[in-house]
Amino acid sequence: MSDVIIAARGVEVELGDAPVLRDVGLTAAAGEIIAVVGENGAGKSTLLRCLAGLQPPLRGSVDVLGAPPVDAAAFWKRVVLVGDEPAWYPGLSVEEHLELARAVHRGGRLTVGEALETFELAGRADLSPLTLSNGQRQRLSLAMALLRPSRLLLLDEPERGLDAAFRARLATILTGYAAGGGTVVMATHDLRLATATGARLITLETAS
Amino acid sequence: MNPARAYLRSRRGRRMTWSDRYAALFGLALVAAVLGNPVVATVQGLAAGVDAGRMGAGLGLLLAAYAGYLALARFLGPLVLPAADAAWLVLSPLPRRSVLGRAASVLLAVAAAAGAVLGLAVPAVLGVPDDLAVRLTAALVLGLGAAVGGMATAVLAQASQTWDSWLLTMIAGAVLLAAAAALLGGGPGRQVLLAVAGAPVAAVVAAAGLAAAVTAGLLRRAWIALDRIPAAKILSASARGGRVLSAAVTMDTGALTWVAEDNHWRGRVLRSRPWPGSAPRSAWAAGLAPAWPEWRRAGRRPGRLALLLGSTALPAVAAQAAGGMSALPVGVLLCGALTAAVAFTTGARRDGDNPSLARLLAVGPRALMAARAVLPALAAALWSSLALAGLAAAGALPGGPWWLLGPATAPAMAAGALRMARRRPADHSMPVIETAGAALPMGPIIWALTGADLALLGCLPALVALTGPSASLTASVITQVLAGAGVLTAYLLRQGRGAGEG
Repeated sequence: MSDVIIAARGVEVELGDAPVLRDVGLTAAAGEIIAVVGENGAGKSTLLRCLAGLQPPLRGSVDVLGAPPVDAAAFWKRVVLVGDEPAWYPGLSVEEHLELARAVHRGGRLTVGEALETFELAGRADLSPLTLSNGQRQRLSLAMALLRPSRLLLLDEPERGLDAAFRARLATILTGYAAGGGTVVMATHDLRLATATGARLITLETAS
Repeated sequence: MNPARAYLRSRRGRRMTWSDRYAALFGLALVAAVLGNPVVATVQGLAAGVDAGRMGAGLGLLLAAYAGYLALARFLGPLVLPAADAAWLVLSPLPRRSVLGRAASVLLAVAAAAGAVLGLAVPAVLGVPDDLAVRLTAALVLGLGAAVGGMATAVLAQASQTWDSWLLTMIAGAVLLAAAAALLGGGPGRQVLLAVAGAPVAAVVAAAGLAAAVTAGLLRRAWIALDRIPAAKILSASARGGRVLSAAVTMDTGALTWVAEDNHWRGRVLRSRPWPGSAPRSAWAAGLAPAWPEWRRAGRRPGRLALLLGSTALPAVAAQAAGGMSALPVGVLLCGALTAAVAFTTGARRDGDNPSLARLLAVGPRALMAARAVLPALAAALWSSLALAGLAAAGALPGGPWWLLGPATAPAMAAGALRMARRRPADHSMPVIETAGAALPMGPIIWALTGADLALLGCLPALVALTGPSASLTASVITQVLAGAGVLTAYLLRQGRGAGEG
């Protein structure tokens, strides 16, 4: 496997006194899509937080893009995390949030117009994100993440709130991202989405 | 009492014992003992007469407080139920008036207390030339009428859009009257104020009678309206009230402001526009882009800008009320400038509460914070310059370009505002320090000082100049420029941590 993007070995995490991850390993190459699956409480989100540098492992090592992940601007220029819904900036419309991501990052992957069309938000461009439905807000989160350039996409249940038709479209979008050399790691409960993206499955068992 | 309420009350816990009654009576006696002296002193002081020069400023502050009372009632609901009642009783087939009766009686008690304060404050400000007992009684009736009638209007506004427009008109009218009284009271409006203060007893009694009749009418309408307040309005007000209560308990004022902010934008259609200079050429240019939303938000809330602009008169009004430059106008000046700066730090606050978008934007925290300091600094500079010019025009400051202290203090105000925007909720696990005077809970004290400390530190030269005007103004401005710039630079240099901290 060439051009290793993620190399995690023997990762162990405890929250309080409860073990959440025990001896978990994960490697990912450029252009690969990985779906982390498992029942509720298996530690999927915790693993993503470890890869994002937001949860230091108790034991084991995590390297992302050749170095341990850190919560710093230089790291986030190359890595995108889409987890819980972000707090939207007050007074900005849907389109202006996308404009903001485009203005900050040079060489965006999509124009604002393309992002609105791709994520089916064109009819909602002038609304405040607070006015959107849960699924539409999730689409906006994904649009902001995929509009900007990145090398690694960490998605925590990206299917949350999305209807079946858009899940199929999301699979195509993610496959396109990986075809461009990007790596995707997603925690998901939707095996159809994982299959549609051709993802390699990693199943987590509840640690005990 | 309806059966559901009777059932809930029977399950709610033990019955009131003699010990509970004793504690309640003792509490009331304590309140009477604490408030008794100030009230008696105020009533006795009414006969002594008031300084006509301070009348306008005092009435202005009183009317501003009344506008704030109405605005707060409108923001809170005013009819709010506990979470459990809102969840289970509002959507039940019980008559809505019986469900809301208890909340309505609490509102009535609150309005009566506010009315009593207002009724005492009006003669304290305008003076009582003769017939103390009659005029005081009439003032109390007028105060109660204004407060209870205002609250009844707020309840009606919860039930109908038309009444909501009336309530907004009342608030705007009170603000305009406050501004007119404060600004004109010392000059052309003085004769009007003196005429109002010296109105014949018969006219005052007639006004009180009219106020009582109007209030009774409003109360009756509000009581009828209780049955047809839409459930959605009560549920949203109760949810808001619950959040306000929990935010007040944990001293998380950020949560409070988000409630108001999110309510303002929810459902609005905005005219999307591209960002200026959308092709950033450097890291600093990229850093400016995340700061730009603050400018756009400011432009989209002209009412807030107008309010800030109007409030620049407050230090001059406070100086007029206090009879010169003292701790009150200086405090109002500093608090106002800091408030003007804090009003434009929502981006920093949002990223502090939830750094997801900051991580997505991935801008270096120092560049980001520097860009975000520009608008708060500009707001503080403009606000305090206008306020200082007002103080000079009112004669509270000696001659000289005092307004220069405004731009000079602005960087320190911006640093304080940004630090305040990034502070965490009060840590109630911190120790309580017992002193001879009182117990000091360190968590809330540190929380309250975070941000204000930096602003105060950076404004020390201005404070010295304002409280001891014998100092050279030029030297004070130069020292202040250095202190303000130094504090902001030091604050920005400390911003070197992760994007999530940005």
